[in-house]
Order: sequence, then C-alpha cells, then structure tokens
Amino acid sequence: MIITQLKSIEEIYEMIKPYEKILVLGCDGCCQPPRSLNEAKTLAQMLELKARTEGKELKWKAITVLRQCDDRIAATTVRPFINEYDAILTLACGLGVGMMNRIFPNILTFPAQDSMFGGAENHGENEFAEYCETCGECLLGVTGGICPMAGCAKNLSNGPCGGTVGGKCEVGGYVHDCAWIKIWARLKQFNRLDLFTKYRPPRNYRLWSSPRFIDLYTTATNEEEEKEEAKS
Amino acid sequence: MEKIGSVLVVGGGIAGIQASMDLADSGFKVYLAEATMSIGGVMSQLDKTFPTNDCSICILAPKLVAAGRHENIFLMINTTVDKIEGDPGNFKVDLLQKSLLIDQEICTGCGVCSQKCPVEAIDFFNEGLSEKAAVSVKFPQAVPLVFSIDSELCIGCGVCQGVCKAKAVDYTLKDKITSINVGAVVLAPGFDEYDPSLTNHYGYGKYLNVVTSIEFERILSASGPHSGLTLRPSDGIIPKKIAFLQCVGSRDKRHGGEYCSSVCCMYTTKEAVIAKEHMDIVQPTIFSMDIRACGKDFDKYIERAKEEYGVQYVKSRISNIEEDPETKDLILQYETDDGKVIKEAYNLVVLAVGALPHQKAKELAETLNIKLNEYGFCETSPFNSIETSRNGIYTCGMFSEPKDIPETVVEASAAAAAVDVLLSDVRNTLITEKELPEEITVDLFPPRIGVFICHCGINIGGVVNVPDVVDYVSKLPDVVYAERNLYTCSADTQSNIKDKILEHKLNRVIVASCTPRTHEPLFQGTIREAGLNKYLFDLANIRDQCSWVHMHEPKEATEKAKDLVRMAIAKARNLVPLEEQKVEVIHKGMVIGGGVSGMTAALNLANQGYEVFLVEKSDILGGFSNHIYQTLETHDVQEFLKDLIQKVNDHKLINVFLNAKINSIGGYVCNFTTKITIGEDEKKEFQHGIIIVATGAHEYQPVEGEYLFGKDDKVILQSELEKILFTEPDSLKQLKSLVMIQCVGSRNEEHPYCSRMCCAEAIKNAIKAKEINPDLNIAVLFRDIRTYGFKEKYYDLAREKGIIFLEFDEKNPPEITTENSHLQVKVTTPKKDVVNINADLLALSAGIVADGEANEDLAKMLKVPTNDDNFFLEAHVKLRPSDFATDGIFLCGTARCTATIRESIAQANSAASRATTILAKDILVTEGVISHVDPSLCIGCNRCAEVCNYGAVGVNYEKGLMISEVNPLLCKGCGDCAAECPAEAITMSHFGRTQIEPMIVEAARVEEKNGEPRIIAFLCNWCSYAGADLAGVSRYQYPPNVRTIRVMCSGGLPKSFIYQAFLEGADGVFVGGCHIGDCHYIAGNQDTLRRTDEIAESLKSIGINPGRFMRKWVSASEGKIFAETMTQFTNQIKNLGPIESDYKKKEIKTIQ
Repeated sequence: MIITQLKSIEEIYEMIKPYEKILVLGCDGCCQPPRSLNEAKTLAQMLELKARTEGKELKWKAITVLRQCDDRIAATTVRPFINEYDAILTLACGLGVGMMNRIFPNILTFPAQDSMFGGAENHGENEFAEYCETCGECLLGVTGGICPMAGCAKNLSNGPCGGTVGGKCEVGGYVHDCAWIKIWARLKQFNRLDLFTKYRPPRNYRLWSSPRFIDLYTTATNEEEEKEEAKS
Repeated sequence: MEKIGSVLVVGGGIAGIQASMDLADSGFKVYLAEATMSIGGVMSQLDKTFPTNDCSICILAPKLVAAGRHENIFLMINTTVDKIEGDPGNFKVDLLQKSLLIDQEICTGCGVCSQKCPVEAIDFFNEGLSEKAAVSVKFPQAVPLVFSIDSELCIGCGVCQGVCKAKAVDYTLKDKITSINVGAVVLAPGFDEYDPSLTNHYGYGKYLNVVTSIEFERILSASGPHSGLTLRPSDGIIPKKIAFLQCVGSRDKRHGGEYCSSVCCMYTTKEAVIAKEHMDIVQPTIFSMDIRACGKDFDKYIERAKEEYGVQYVKSRISNIEEDPETKDLILQYETDDGKVIKEAYNLVVLAVGALPHQKAKELAETLNIKLNEYGFCETSPFNSIETSRNGIYTCGMFSEPKDIPETVVEASAAAAAVDVLLSDVRNTLITEKELPEEITVDLFPPRIGVFICHCGINIGGVVNVPDVVDYVSKLPDVVYAERNLYTCSADTQSNIKDKILEHKLNRVIVASCTPRTHEPLFQGTIREAGLNKYLFDLANIRDQCSWVHMHEPKEATEKAKDLVRMAIAKARNLVPLEEQKVEVIHKGMVIGGGVSGMTAALNLANQGYEVFLVEKSDILGGFSNHIYQTLETHDVQEFLKDLIQKVNDHKLINVFLNAKINSIGGYVCNFTTKITIGEDEKKEFQHGIIIVATGAHEYQPVEGEYLFGKDDKVILQSELEKILFTEPDSLKQLKSLVMIQCVGSRNEEHPYCSRMCCAEAIKNAIKAKEINPDLNIAVLFRDIRTYGFKEKYYDLAREKGIIFLEFDEKNPPEITTENSHLQVKVTTPKKDVVNINADLLALSAGIVADGEANEDLAKMLKVPTNDDNFFLEAHVKLRPSDFATDGIFLCGTARCTATIRESIAQANSAASRATTILAKDILVTEGVISHVDPSLCIGCNRCAEVCNYGAVGVNYEKGLMISEVNPLLCKGCGDCAAECPAEAITMSHFGRTQIEPMIVEAARVEEKNGEPRIIAFLCNWCSYAGADLAGVSRYQYPPNVRTIRVMCSGGLPKSFIYQAFLEGADGVFVGGCHIGDCHYIAGNQDTLRRTDEIAESLKSIGINPGRFMRKWVSASEGKIFAETMTQFTNQIKNLGPIESDYKKKEIKTIQ
C-alpha cells in the first residue's frame, strides 16, 4: 500500500485558489490511511470554509474512485462529472494524480497528499513501515527477508559498514536499527550465515533509475508456451 | 402447593434495582417496594465513585430510568412490608403504601406545586444542608418523577391544589394496604450511617465545621447545596486544610459497631481526591489505623491519591477534637512517625462515619421472621451470603454486612440467581406481552407529519407562546396536522394521538415537550399501538432545554421552540422504520474453570434446567480450594467442597470435561460454538448460548531466596502451614515461636494490588496454631491489617489470645537470617523501633496472582480485555462486575480479582443470574438503533473495527469478502464506526447523516436576523444532554442562542458535521460528551477527543477563529456547569462577532 500524508490546508488551498468549482476525489485503493468519500467531503468542507475566509465562494463535489491508478476504473468513475468542474483535487497517492492528469488531459488535477513510500501496516505498533523500496533487483532472498535498500541508509548490498554502533546506524544519530545487523541475526537464527558471507556483486542501478515502465506484452512472456508454439 | 412466578424486592437502592432488573429480565414479575419517594438509594447521593472517579448519578440514572420503565417491574414508592405468610414459592405479602397526598397515576412531575409551596422545609437528600418545599420530589433525577406532600410540614393552605393543572393533588388520599402473592422475597433495605450527633462524638453537632462524610459528599456534588464548591459550614470559606478521621462508629466498641465498615477508607480517599480536584489549594490529611484498600485496583487508587494529589496519610486514631472559638478551626493532637506529639489546626474535619444496620432492620426481621446477627445485620449462611435464615427469602447488599457497590451489585444478582432456581418451573407465567397491531408500511409514501405540542401545565405554556408555535409549525412542509395539549403525556392525550394518526394518516409523529430521556418510550409505545414503527417518532425538548432555561425571555424562547420543532421535523422527514432483529437462543451454557466459582455457576444454571458444559484444564475439580481447610469463621471448606463436587458430578445436566483444552470459541451471544481437546486427542465440539469465565488464580510462589524461601525449610507458605495445622497438628506442639510475614508478592511493584484474603488467612492460622499450642509465641508482621467487615472480630480475638501484631514499612521489609539453625527475624517498625524475634517457623502470606499467559490466551479467544495485573476486566467496575462488555460472556471468582470463597460463590451465582437474563429468553431481540454497513461502499479498511469497543463491527476475514459487517447482537448503537468510516459506508440508524445533516441546516437557519449569534451544540445522550436537562430542572438560566442536537455518543460525530454547521452559518459549535472514563460506550469519547483536537487544529489553518469551536465534558450532574458553559461560550461568540467577520470582503452583521 502507498503511505500518504495530507498536505496542510494552506498548501492545498494555494493550489486550487484560482478555481471556482472543484471536483474532490477520494481513492478506495491501497492508499493508507484510507482516504475515501468521507475524507474527500470533509476536505472539501474545510476548503469551502477557507475560501470564505479569503472572501471567495467555492463550489465542490466529492466522489470516490475504486482505484485511481487503474485508468479504466478512474476514467469511467470520474468522466460523468468532469465537464462541470474547473479543476480536480485528489486524495490519491502520486500515482492517482499522474493517472488523472493523463486520462483527463484537458483539466488539471492537484494532489492533496504527499506520497511517502510503499509501506505495510503494523497494527500492533500503530505504524506504517517501509519494507521494500521497489529497487528492481530483489535481494530479500539472501537477506532473510529484510531489505537492505529500504532498511539501510546507505543502500549497501554488502554490510554492515563501520557506522554501526550497538546495532544502531550512525545516520540519523544512532536511532534506527542497522539493517545489516538485523539481517545477520535473522540468518543466524535459521543457520544460514552462508548467505551472509557470500559476496554480492555491485547492484544494477539502471533498474532503479527513472523513468521506469514495463511493456506488458514483450517482457511478460511464458517460455514454455513459446516453445510449444515453436514446435507446432 | 403452587409456585408463583413473581418476586417482591424490598428496597430500591442499587441492590434492589439490580435484583429487580435481573429477575424481570429472566421472566419474573417483580414488585419493587421502596420506602422513600424515589428509587436510587445512597448511590444517588454520591458525587463520584471510587476507584474510577465515575460520576455516580451519570452511571446510575440510566439504571433508574430502565427500572422505572421496565414492563415487568411494578414500582411502589413510600411502601413498606406489613405482613408476610406462606412458604417458599408461595408467600402472601401485605404492603403498606403511605399516602403521597398526590395521585401518582396523574402527577406528571412538572414541579409547579413545589415552586409555589410557601413552606420551606429541610431537604433530606442534601443531608440537611439546603432547603426544599413541603411538596417535593427526592432529587431531580428521581424515578418515578412524582411529587409528594410531606404531611408533617404541610400547612394545608391548598396552593398546590390550585396550581396543579393535572388535578393530581388530593388531600383525601389515604394510606393503603395492598396484598400480593409472590414466590420469593429479596431484601435490599440497605443500611444507615452512624450518627455521631447522638454522643457528640468528636464534637459533631457542637462544632459547625465537623461534618460527616456523607454531608461532605453532598458538599462536593455538583448538584449539592453549594453546586460543587467546597465550602465549610461555619463561614462559607474554602477550607484549606481538611482532616479526615477514619473509623467513626466502626471498629469501636463504645460508639457504633466493633466491625469494620469496609468502605470508609476508600470513600474518604475519593473525597480527598475530589476535594483536591475541585480546589487545588485544599490539603487533605487522612487519619486512620489501617488503610483497607482491598478491592480491585484500590491500592493503585491510594497510591495515586498520595502521589498525584498529595493526600497525606497519618496512622493515628484521633482521640479528641477541640475548636478554636475565634476561627472555628479545629485542633487535632496526634503522634508523628518520629514519636513527637503535635497539635495542628484544621479548617474542616470530615468524620468517615461507618455503616450501621438499617434502623428498621429489627422491625423488618420480626415481620419477616428472619434472624439478625450479633451486630443487628441480617444473618446469612456460612458459604452463601444471600441466604437468610428463612427459605425463600434472600438478602443482598449492606443489609447483611458492610460492603462496597460492586459487591452489592454482585450479591443482588446472586440473590436473583437463587430466586431463578427456586421459581424456575413458573418462569414466564406472570409476564404478559402486549398484542400489537401489524405495522403500517410507510417507506413508499411521502412524509405526513403530525406535531403535538405540550403546554406542560404552565411549565412550557407560561414562557413559550404555544399557540404561536402550533401556528408556525402547521405551515411547514410535510406537516399535515398540529395541535397543542395541556399535558401531552397524560393518558387521554395518548388515545388522542392514536386517533389523530389514523384520522390524518400520519406516518411520522413529533411531540414537543420535555426530554426524550424520560418520555420517549411512552410516546414510542403510543404510536406503535397505532400501527406505526416506534422509530418514526421524534421529540423536541422545549421544556428542559427551552422554557425552563429561558424563563425571562419569552420571545426568544418561543423562537427557539419553533427552531427546535422545525429541527425535529427535518429529522422526522428522514426517519425510517427500523427492524429489531430476533435471534434464537441456545439454552445451554459453558463454564470455563472447575473451581468453586465455576462449579457454583454451573450448578446454578443446571438447577434452573439449562445444560452446562464445565471445562476444567486440570484433572480434578475444586481448584485452589483444595488447599483450604477452613474459613476464618471456622467453617469446614473441605466438607463443603466434597459436597459441591458430588452435586456437580451427579447432576445430569452438567457435562464435566477434565484435562480439557479450549481450541477455539466461535460465534456470539445466543450461539457460540466451542471446540475442545480432552486429554491427548479426544476432540469435542458443542454449542451454547453463554459463557462464564471462572478460570481462577493461584498462590504467588516467592522467588528463591525471598525471605530465605526455598533456602531454609523452616520458611514455608501460609497454605503449607494450613496443611500442617489441619493434617498433622501435633508437629506444632514442639515449636516455641511462629512468625508470619504479610504482603509477600502483594502490594509491591510487581503486583501492585492487595490479595484481599491473606490477612484473614494469617489470622485464621494464627488462632488455630494458638489453639493447638497455647504456649506458642506468634507474631504477625504486617503493613495494614485488612480484616474488613465482620472479619474484624477475629482480628480482635487474635489479639485477645496474645498474638502479636507488628507493623513494618514497605521500604523496610523484615530481614531474615539463620543463626545456629534458628531463624532470626529483624523487624523495623515505621516508628523506627527495631525488634528481633527468634522463629522456629516462618510462614509467608503469599498473595494471589493471575495466570498471565493462560488469561491472555483466553482473552484473545473471547475478545475480552484483561487489566495490568492479568485479571479479567469487567464491563464496568462499579455496576457491571459480572459482565464483560461483550454480550453473553460473564466472569466470576478470582478470574476477576482476588476474593474469598464466600465472595467467589456470590460472584458465581451473580454471573449465573446475568447469564440467565439471556438463557431465559427463547428469542433475543436486538436494539433497533444500530449501525449498518452498505457493502457496495465498504472498502474493507477495517477502521470501524479499530474504534468499536464491543467487537461488533469489522471485516469478516473468514468469509473471504473484504467487507465489513455489523453484528446486530453486539452493536450498542454509539455510531463511532459510522463517524470513523472513510467511505461513508456505515450508517448509524436514527442518528445518521440523513437525519442529522438536515437538522444542522435547520439549526443554523435564522428566520429573522437580529444580530444574535447562533450556536449549535452536539450533546451526547448520556452525560451532556442529561446535564443540559438538569440545568433545566434546576432552572439555571443561559442565553437562548443554543440549538441542541442529541446524538447517542459524542464519538458518533463525524468531523463533517462540525464543518457543515459552520458552512450553514452557525457562529459557534459546541460538542459535549461524558468525562473521559465515564463514557457510556466504554471509550467512545476518546475518539471524540481525537477528532475534536483535529478540528480545533484545522480551524486555525482555515482561518476561522478556533474560539468558535468548543469541546467540553459535561456530566449528567453538572447542570450548573452546562448553563455556565453555555453563557460563557455565547459571550465568547458575541465578542468574536458573527462567523462572517472571519470571512473577508463580506458584509458584516452588527451585534447588539
């Protein structure tokens, strides 16, 4: 799920200030904390009040979209309303903002939120945590399921470095755990320190550099099927 | 002889109410006879309750109302028992009802008579500290709300007869005797306080500034004589130094009783804490012999009082008090810890008066032919605290022994459980169900609203121009009929309403009168009889929250009344009929734990005819009681236990599973499914309607080396000593010296609670040892001796027998050394005396600890909470000690907290009685006002489950669909989930967005702009709305700018309501809820706190002045605080100007 944080009212208002009628979108997708119809409506109400304090009137409609990162769902849900509004404000993550701007090129869509990271929810600890940085070359298989890209401030693929003291990382002042110490402990737990001592070659940073996209029809192939086809 | 399915409950205090409610819910007709004018008893006089500081009236008032309106409870006030004859199952009782001189059936409780009464007489409810009229009601929240004339004070002037528009006053009404037939009698007449004025004890009655604790309780109360200000009687100044004197009339052979009154230590601490909370300059000091804080979480409360509130505890019994004639201060003389004798002046002295037997106890005992004990309390049987000496007559509460409220409630339910067994054959025979016409379909038709506006004599009509309101209302859209009545609640108006519904084809009905909290069910019943669903009704509160609080502004009050009715109409347009769901009950129970509690509970249910599955993890029944040989009162435990085990094993309805492990518990109230494994691999699965948790606790095992335990075999546990005493007493005869150490594994950092029974254990064993070997020297080293209630007798006896009691301090525990194979015990007393004792044997009084891991596992399975000490946490520590918050699950015995065998048995029966309220029904009918999930909108985020305190809503992962569901059986209708739902998929019925949003529009609408600010107040039903009603009842005036919107819980308010209110034009918005910790829905107001904090924060960034929004906790007793808050908030908004003044470039209204 994508972890997001609401921008301040002032910042959001600054973006939509030039417009008189806005469409406020919630997103029922993976966005966490959930931002759906209620959030969209409450945000719109706050903006309307804000507009009044600035001596303006703001007209709005709040709806919610099942998933804004899917172009078909987003387009069918939002299209019926699009002509009546000057701008769109969305509570989706950056993906949603990008998608709305792409499928509705004639209207500007603004983000109401900052997208923080792809994260997971730990209910017990009441926190969202980043377990993966979508680097494109997964190391989790040799690190006991702990990601050194998301967990190590220096993105080391061979750690730990000299900056760890008592299991804590020097970056940020010895507050965060050193991912590589945790990796070591976890591999030891399963008696798999052989994985730890194995040299890991430098990473292919090209996979991690923007812009990134995957063409569904050339990369996602099934070799077995191809062979079958070749035979026939 | 034929048994009769009805019960007489004598006494309408909390015990009587609880017993009545349990019995009425279990299918019996109940006659509740109360000697005074209202039910409620002493608890209605209390300001707060320990150890939670809950507002007493807030938690009690809903119970009073529920008892008052229960269809199976027949309430008789001013009534006493005159005569009784017959046998268990069939008694004939004559009840004497003293005349009220006011017809109870006709009186509407409007209170005009009381205002006009010229005779000012003393108010007993405020303990003589304020005045009231000869015509009066006991207290504002009284149930039933009828007035009475005190014939001793009445001068017969006839003014009240003249002003009563209902014609209820009738001087000719005579006392009357009513004969009833009942199957059983439950006695709950309560107690009396010790009256120190009889002997001028401590100068009480002579010195003005010496007050009793119950007087001080009234002084502290927000509804008391000084409206919550702590003022001393002599000159009305705030007392800075307050001394609390313990054991006045308790533990004293000359004054009062020689027993301990059990509750004074705690209520004194509570009063000290509250006094400090009210006025920070107060310095409370408590003088006591011991501090007896032996209930659940009581010790933590004492610690908080010491640390957070700076309450001083001095261990000293004050012998005498002198008054300074000039300042009226009181001079106390006492010895300090370092041995100095000092004299100190205090501004106020509060006497913690003990409990005496009820003054009519002797009379009642003679009438009923039951025995009283040596102290004049009701005699009860050794192991069952609710059995009197006469079969078929049971007792509960303070009538049998001094005890606190939770224990009283437990006993009340236990007494009901005994009746349940006695009368199980004739259950449901005297209950009649009303036949109702089929409901008319209304969904498909446009609203046709009928409005009935009440004059309430002159209560409303004297201020509000009612004809004007009727005229205005009848012109509103969808209103097809409007009329006004002198009393809308009177019987003739009810039939009139029914006629009008049929005549005008009304499909929504609105009554504008008093408060829905008392009168809604009446009108709902009326429209239901006319064929309308009862939820198609709404009530506009134009009396308590309009005419009574704006008495001097008739024009504004009339405008407000119009607004309130218009708001109700806006809501009514969107009301929909609600369906109450019906679920079949499986008439079987599961009891977890086979100790004394579990077996007692199982046996009770089985004796009522319900099949029980008793699941025990070990291989024997009996639990911890297997190690107990005798009680302090020298009753044989082993014999009792053997008998109980045999009864359980022989009962054909009890299935005992030993060596059983619970694998899973599924389902919910009425229909649980449990899977267990017996022994190694035998699997079993059964279904049942309820669960009783009786898992017990065990003795603390000292760590090795603690007081040389485990290192020297002369150091043993108290339970081991008991075994020696009762199985090989001769081995004690060679000993010369025995030492006991108390509080081992109790009242320390690890276990910060009192184990309750160790003091009694030690004294029991000491006395027994002394009997075996009279030459034995016995020393008991203690911190406080906690022989509460009648156990005090044995503490006296032990000292008489020459057993030495030596006090030590927690910080200075006794030191044990070994010398020449002798134990050497060194004790340092708090006064720093050092005593060395040679001991042949050292017995450690080890405390009781809960099995943390096992309880945690079970708690997870049942989805119920445990407290910090791993004991299970009940639904409400005061009033629901045997229930979990989750319906259908109950608890008893040491699973809840430490308790003696007798107490555990009472708790077990109590849990059984609570369970019977479900098992006795074939069909369980759920609440209509609950939440609903629209599956097409739900996004499966499960936020609802996070805020729900009842486990009633959430995504059912087992179903595979990621969609939230509401369990209508568990939902209590607070609406918290609906407010939290990001997708607006959850709707709270009756108080949802569709109903409240139109109300907000109407509440903000100002018909004639006059520059007065408009404020919208959202109030929770249980505390703030009740507080607003109390402001009305007490006539506290506040500006008529406020329009109130009632919601069930402040936690059910989504943020959008508040923003909408501002957008619609409200100049100020107020949110009122229960105090934190007092929430009727456990912790709904915690979510209010979070949301309102966010709102206040966001208003700043929006640019709206945050002063336009206010959140305040107002309790049901804080009528004055509500009125003051409204006045202050209105002034604050006036200063800020209309909301438009926060908007730029807009025309600004002028404020007058």
